[in-house]
Amino acid sequence: MNIGNRENASAINEYERQLSGLYEEYYDKIARYVYVHIGDREEAEDIAGEVFLKALKSLKSYREQGVPMHGWLFRIAHNLTVDHLRKMNKRKTLEVAEIDSLALPGNDNPADTAEKNIEFERVVDAMNQLTVEQRQVVNLRFFGELTSKEVSGILGKSDGAVREMQRAAIEKLRVIVGVGK
Amino acid sequence: MGEDFDRILDECIDRINRGDDPADCLSDYPACSEKLRPLLQSVHDVQKTYTFAPSADAKRAARQKFQAALDKQRQATPVGSFFKAISRPAVWATVAVVVLAIVGALVIRPLFNPQTLISSPDGNFAFLISDEPNDIGDFESLNITISRVELRAAGSVKRLEFTPETRTVDLTRLQGELSQEIWRGDVPPGQYSHVFIYVNEASGKLESTGQTINVKLPSGRLQLSMSFDVTADAVTSFTFDITVVERGNSGEYNLQPQIGESGAREGQKPLE
Repeated sequence: MNIGNRENASAINEYERQLSGLYEEYYDKIARYVYVHIGDREEAEDIAGEVFLKALKSLKSYREQGVPMHGWLFRIAHNLTVDHLRKMNKRKTLEVAEIDSLALPGNDNPADTAEKNIEFERVVDAMNQLTVEQRQVVNLRFFGELTSKEVSGILGKSDGAVREMQRAAIEKLRVIVGVGK
Repeated sequence: MGEDFDRILDECIDRINRGDDPADCLSDYPACSEKLRPLLQSVHDVQKTYTFAPSADAKRAARQKFQAALDKQRQATPVGSFFKAISRPAVWATVAVVVLAIVGALVIRPLFNPQTLISSPDGNFAFLISDEPNDIGDFESLNITISRVELRAAGSVKRLEFTPETRTVDLTRLQGELSQEIWRGDVPPGQYSHVFIYVNEASGKLESTGQTINVKLPSGRLQLSMSFDVTADAVTSFTFDITVVERGNSGEYNLQPQIGESGAREGQKPLE
């Protein structure tokens, strides 16, 4: 093994260690991120697991260039989600998914359940009226729980631009959801 | 105000993501709380709509699949290099060197690569953190963030490591007999001789001034050299006791392992 290969192997070992260390913290966040787009709990769990397997296989191509490893995981999650939706012939762009009302945490009171469903549909509708980038920011910030700096690395925008998109998105959500209330 | 407001909103969302109450953020920024409140309410509404926590079973199954793939990948690389090397006639002159390198890769290197352990609620090993009171009384809070824990088998170079399920602990809440379990899982039975804790961050808020300071940990890790046994049919609870000590009257503090209070024992009282 020459020096280049040895350094490469050492880097891969370090990346493997990093990836393994991220599992506990990021599996849930990635599953939630995927769930928002596909609306199916089990599929979201499967895709979250697949993200880590895919990352492991692709570690040789991973280079930390402004995006930390967990940001890279969300990129993989994004691509796998798009692939999944294409396979299902559902959508070609990432929108926010409808969720079966049975999946909503409900109670035995039909009136409450109906109200929750209306509220839920209002939020989904509002989310889908955001621009694609605003939706990405909201999803990565609210469900992936990434910082705006991390989101800026993933989207290739400045921190300020992400904060501005975030504020505009929330204001839009407030107007749309608020009107229906 | 635009950019400043964007920053404040951003900070509040970070705090909500960390589990803070939105009301705390509003009270920290009274000048813009009127504008901030409805936006934070919208954040709450959207997050609530998609409340979802993956099942523990799915997470565990995916973790095992990932671990198996990781082990396979670690084993596959040196073997691949071996066959590639010996298939080239031109390298016969360096066969001895190659063989030594391969032996090193196949035999020695895996021994030095730590094996990553999987967490499990039914595991035979529990790892706890506690705090021997020395200068901890100087702190209102002292949070340390542990990135990983490493165990070394006695009389061999075998290394095992795990990532704590609870990474950040407040040592002020773990004084004396109190301890907090940060990981539970399966550890191969045998005798172990060293435990290392790798600490990413240690910062505390001083009781006297309210100032937040970084607590020193020169090598980034704490080490205990002590022998203990892990068996298959019982749960071994290992408590790693950490103490904080002021360096003279410098106002600077160091973290140190406390061997006298550490060890594998029964009857630990987890933090309620």
